[in-house]
Amino acid sequence: MERLHARYPFFAAAREAVDAAAVDLGELVTRPDEPAVDRAVDRVVSALTDHTIGEPHGDDRIELLSYPVARVVVSLVDDPVVTRTYAKAEAATAHERVLADLDGGDDLKFTTNDTDLTVERLLAEFDLEDEVVPTEDGYEVAVTRYLQLAADLDDPDWRLPRRSLAAGDVPVTRDELLELLRAAIEERVAAGLPFAVPDAIAAELDHAVAAVEDVLSDPAIPTEFADVDPAAFPPCMDALLERARAGEELPDHSWFVLLSFCATVGMHAEEVVAIVDPGDETVAERIRYGVERVATSEGEIAYPPVSCATMQTYGDCVNKDETCETIAHPLSYYETRLAADD
Amino acid sequence: MNERTRRYLRGRFGDHYRGTELSPPPQPNEREWGYITWSSGGTTMIRHHSWMEVGDLRTFLTDERPRHVYFSAGRYDDPGAGSMSKKGWRGSDLVFDLDADHLPGVDPDEDSYAEMLAVCKDALLRLLDLLETDFDFEDLTVVFSGGRGYHVHVRDDGVDELDRSHRREIVDYVMANDVDFESLVNRESVAGLGLKNPTDKRSLDTTGGWGRRVHDRLLAFVDEVRELPDEEARERLQSFEGIGAGRSKKLVEVLDDRYDELAAGNLDVHPTVVRLADIFAEETFAAETAPIDEPVTTDINRLIRLPGSLHGGTGLAVTRIPRDQVAEFDPLHDAVPGTFVGNDIEVTVDEPTAVELGGGSFTVEAGTQTVPEYVGVFLMARDHAEKGKE
Repeated sequence: MERLHARYPFFAAAREAVDAAAVDLGELVTRPDEPAVDRAVDRVVSALTDHTIGEPHGDDRIELLSYPVARVVVSLVDDPVVTRTYAKAEAATAHERVLADLDGGDDLKFTTNDTDLTVERLLAEFDLEDEVVPTEDGYEVAVTRYLQLAADLDDPDWRLPRRSLAAGDVPVTRDELLELLRAAIEERVAAGLPFAVPDAIAAELDHAVAAVEDVLSDPAIPTEFADVDPAAFPPCMDALLERARAGEELPDHSWFVLLSFCATVGMHAEEVVAIVDPGDETVAERIRYGVERVATSEGEIAYPPVSCATMQTYGDCVNKDETCETIAHPLSYYETRLAADD
Repeated sequence: MNERTRRYLRGRFGDHYRGTELSPPPQPNEREWGYITWSSGGTTMIRHHSWMEVGDLRTFLTDERPRHVYFSAGRYDDPGAGSMSKKGWRGSDLVFDLDADHLPGVDPDEDSYAEMLAVCKDALLRLLDLLETDFDFEDLTVVFSGGRGYHVHVRDDGVDELDRSHRREIVDYVMANDVDFESLVNRESVAGLGLKNPTDKRSLDTTGGWGRRVHDRLLAFVDEVRELPDEEARERLQSFEGIGAGRSKKLVEVLDDRYDELAAGNLDVHPTVVRLADIFAEETFAAETAPIDEPVTTDINRLIRLPGSLHGGTGLAVTRIPRDQVAEFDPLHDAVPGTFVGNDIEVTVDEPTAVELGGGSFTVEAGTQTVPEYVGVFLMARDHAEKGKE
């Protein structure tokens, strides 16, 4: 039992095991040099530095307990990018383990049948039994679920227009299904994060939060540019512009990041109005107001636009091209393209 | 549009709503409602209204008598909140919009209204085929927009929670974006007997997706060719560039001898078959995609015309079409509101104009003319006429 829970601490059964063990997390985090806390910090730091969750602790119980503690730490750091990166790392590690456990499960020696990891068990865990059904050559995934599970996968082979969609189902191989399940795991890990942490526990975890914040580097982003050239805009900003032009009311964060970007590259409010071309005075007013808000009276930018990672978190990172692979901030993209056009 | 015309149309829209029973979309209380009034320069949408504010739909429509009425594809915790972020999104219908203005092969300046709508109807049938055959959607509401096109509202389970990026994939599927013949060909490496190097076995999927659609088209052509006497079959094949007399002779044999393999998707029965499949792929993309208006489908907060309401730019009814009547539906007849049938009215026309409506063709000369009311309403709503003094 413990072994499976330690390997998949986000399973409902693992959570029940923690509850059943009646471990008081509030008390646990007060213990000096508590290995579960150290391992929890390692989980989060490894997620940020190399997109894994680090080496598992040799003791399954400590390994299992480190997961709920890591969730507390992530909640305390309270940064959407950290939450997303952490969830991705947990999911990536789980995916590797699933592959190993399904293919080489013999050496794991689970004691009872109901703890053996099978694809069916995974589907049941994520409530997907009705939407994913086995076929002769693999599985069929209900198209609406497929779209959600495949949304973050970059390879063009995952694109719906290239899939053999028939009667509402997308056929996938077993390996493809396991990759899709990675998204389900990521959602499970991210669900409920961040949550409110009682002050008493937060105080005990100051050092853990500091350790995570230490690795959150703040890469220098360019803020001064020679030219205003919309042709050098990154694809994410192009896409937001296009949506604004089509009359869509963008979510606040997307709207803000677009105006902030335009202002930072040196556009004045009226230039932004002209490029969005809203055809509606209310929207034009909203643009002027927004641009004024992001820029100070001296023309400096009080709120610079967000990084690529944050754009990804908000689902605004779209149509990535080759330049995108080399930069981590939309403004770096702009700087790179400006230099290339010179 | 002058004040008299505006007052007349508003009054008659009110009469229409008094005599019509409208059914709202499901969960009307979770949707945002919006409308445009008849006030001059009136293109400003009054929006962020909740069902509470709308109240009884008929009372609202007969009191306000709006020029256009909309409800949101999205459902919210607080649909009346003044900005999207405060509304609390719950889910959205999946909506498709086919607009004659955006259709390839349509020239809004040249083609008549009837012609544009006919082209749009063809696109609608292609869209429905994709949604029903490939996606297996069942809860479809097909609507004539009252203007230049058709809307399809999809409310199947699982659709609700899709975000804009998921909906974008559906758009791309329907338009066959980012897919070409090469991307549809499955390649399986075979190290066959007598082969020095492993080679790719190329095939098309026969079970689903665009692969299946291309394969169906290719096979239909092969079936057609096999029905022909040999000489005609060769001529038919030679109509394709790059297929000469010799090759066509061989191909006629291959299409017969290896038909079962072809039917199973194998393209490597003859080098020319791959080229034919490529040609039919392009034909399939052109003939079976539906040129939907992308932003409408990807925008989860879109406001859509209310079925049953009147379109203020034509005076035609936004009409729900039962699925089994889509093929026969004639917008220029079936969407003419009964309220405007049976009366004649006087309108003043500056320039002579022709109207095809209500099953008849009308040529309206310049000056003050007496026309059936639905023709007059149509011309006034489109700003081609003003109400005459009566």
